[in-house]
Amino acid sequence: MLTLEHLHKQFGNLTALDDVSFKVPDGQITGLIGQNGSGKSTTFHSILNFLKYDGTIRWQGKPITESVFDEIGYLPEERSLMPKLTIEQQIVYLARLKDQPAKVIRPQIDNWLKKFAVKGKKTDRIKSLSKGNQQKVQLICTLIHRPKLVILDEPFSGLDPVNADLLKQAILETKAQGAAIIFSSHDMANVESLCDQLVMLRTGDVVLNGSITDVRNQFGRSELYVTTDWSEERLRQLPHVTDVNRLRGDRFLLRLDDEKAGPEIFQQLTNGQYIQEFSQQPPTLDEIFRMKAGIKQ
Amino acid sequence: MNKTWIVAAETYLRQVKSWSFVMLVLSPFVLIAISLGVGYFSATSSVDQTKIAVISNQPALRKQFIKDNQDDVKTSVTTVSAAKKKVAKDNLAGYLVISSDATKVSGVYHANDSLSGGMRTKINTFLGKTQQQLNISNAKLSAGQLKSLNEPPAFKQQIKKKVSGASLAKMASFWILTFMIYMVLITYSSVTAQEIASEKGTKIMEIIFSSTKASKYFIGKIVGVLMVILTQIVVYLVGGYAFFELAMQLGKVKDFMTEYHSLVSAVVRNLVNVNLAFVLLGVIIYTIVSAFSGALVAKAEDAPKAAQPAIYLSMIAFFITIPFSNNADALLVKILSYVPFFSSYFMPLRVINSNASGLEIGVSLVILIASIAGLVIYISRIYEGLILQTDDTSFWKRLKRGLAYQK
Repeated sequence: MLTLEHLHKQFGNLTALDDVSFKVPDGQITGLIGQNGSGKSTTFHSILNFLKYDGTIRWQGKPITESVFDEIGYLPEERSLMPKLTIEQQIVYLARLKDQPAKVIRPQIDNWLKKFAVKGKKTDRIKSLSKGNQQKVQLICTLIHRPKLVILDEPFSGLDPVNADLLKQAILETKAQGAAIIFSSHDMANVESLCDQLVMLRTGDVVLNGSITDVRNQFGRSELYVTTDWSEERLRQLPHVTDVNRLRGDRFLLRLDDEKAGPEIFQQLTNGQYIQEFSQQPPTLDEIFRMKAGIKQ
Repeated sequence: MNKTWIVAAETYLRQVKSWSFVMLVLSPFVLIAISLGVGYFSATSSVDQTKIAVISNQPALRKQFIKDNQDDVKTSVTTVSAAKKKVAKDNLAGYLVISSDATKVSGVYHANDSLSGGMRTKINTFLGKTQQQLNISNAKLSAGQLKSLNEPPAFKQQIKKKVSGASLAKMASFWILTFMIYMVLITYSSVTAQEIASEKGTKIMEIIFSSTKASKYFIGKIVGVLMVILTQIVVYLVGGYAFFELAMQLGKVKDFMTEYHSLVSAVVRNLVNVNLAFVLLGVIIYTIVSAFSGALVAKAEDAPKAAQPAIYLSMIAFFITIPFSNNADALLVKILSYVPFFSSYFMPLRVINSNASGLEIGVSLVILIASIAGLVIYISRIYEGLILQTDDTSFWKRLKRGLAYQK
């Protein structure tokens, strides 16, 4: 388990991280979300010891030193490889720096290239690959040594839906092997579909921390999706409805000021008759993100 | 394998496989081969055109002339008609017909162009000598008369040599050594600085620093570059030796080597002693500074500018050395022979001139080695901060921040 306690980082007058504490358990995926400049990369850089910081970071109860570097798989935010090397040379070089013998890594390369559908041979130079394929090679470099702690900074940026799915599969496989995984993303759909828990940072403060379900339920089941032939005006008259949005055709999103009003609204809307859709839910992560990002404490 | 060695091996292989390195190493050999080849071909194609044939009704005379001037005579031509044909085809400069009777030796030269001064002198000398022998024999002199006639004039040279053999060897050693260090430093300062600067602020460095300590990486890089330098030196030594052996096949080089054998071995002795340690340590300390200045550039795109500080430092040391090449006793030489970066130029100067005691050499070496160790330890500590820093601030701000970065 990765544990961060009371992390504080100051750049001049700017507080990049302020009393940040959270845990990344083994065999679980933690999403680190927040707007640009909220402190996500600074958190990653602190974990990796690139920065001096105040507070404590521990991996399996011990400080992160060179002895655990081999257990870490890190994908930085911007992609960068060594353009003059071939795919094979690049993967083998970085794997050897993770203490993996070349003779163990080399036979695996073809399978990994196939798994990520990399267009190119392992003898192709990195500079001859498209941006997307370079990104996939970098992902292979991050995961091929079977790390126990995986840190992915914006892994989905720039990937099309097909490749994003390939990455999701790889992340889930790594989780199944028992690794503790933390990744940052702006795409809440990816976070929601992959993560067991999430941490949200806003200007260096932790504003959300917990399992996806807990975080969403924190906000109450204040959203009601209905598909009905009622007019917008008529829906607005229902008790505790504060806002009505037509989504598409006869589908509406109603916002409630009291989640307990659900049964009463159901009664009035259906009058005991069939209704195509009546779904009371907490806000989506996307909405929570917007809400939290906008609120000043 | 130790991670430092993995980095060193990667740096080394990438450098030596590059076209720029291959060109750098091979270009002197190619140039020498081309100039030797051109020299050989022009010499062999024009050699017959400058030779003459000698024809004589007296084989002994012809034989004697050939013996005295073997490089200038085409011996295969023995008749006037054959010589005429060759001259007409421009395959022979001309032909000399030597004849002799009881009292007179005469020579007639036939050619399209007049004789060169040197050849004319040689022919005159031969004819004069032969005529004199004929005259002496005709004069029927007594042994005493013959002896007094052969008495040579007395001629002696009294030259006050300014440059004795030993000091010539010192001068040659000094210049060879100084230029060797300077050329290696100028070449590899840029290679090292660019190698490091090209990684500045790149995300691959974040991946690498999440795999190994920055200090190990830094030392690996330096070792890799030093291995490249060593490779070039070994290639030059082996190639140089091969060329030397080849050149020794040529008579003139062999003559030169025999004549100047003591000078050459004195120069070699001056190079292959403690001076070699100063050269190697000098290359190491400048390589470290080049790597440091490479790490100080604002971004990878500025890599070409990165080598400047190390190159300027090396140039300053080089140009300060020159005025003292004949004055190894100067106080400044003594002081600078202990100062790292300068000692690699100045201590060898003192060693060549037998001006430094074993203790002084030892102290200078210890200072140099300690400085190298200190620099490696210090730069290793701040290296991560320098390389991961991407702010486009001024050089001095980056240096200040880099120096302040310690974990």
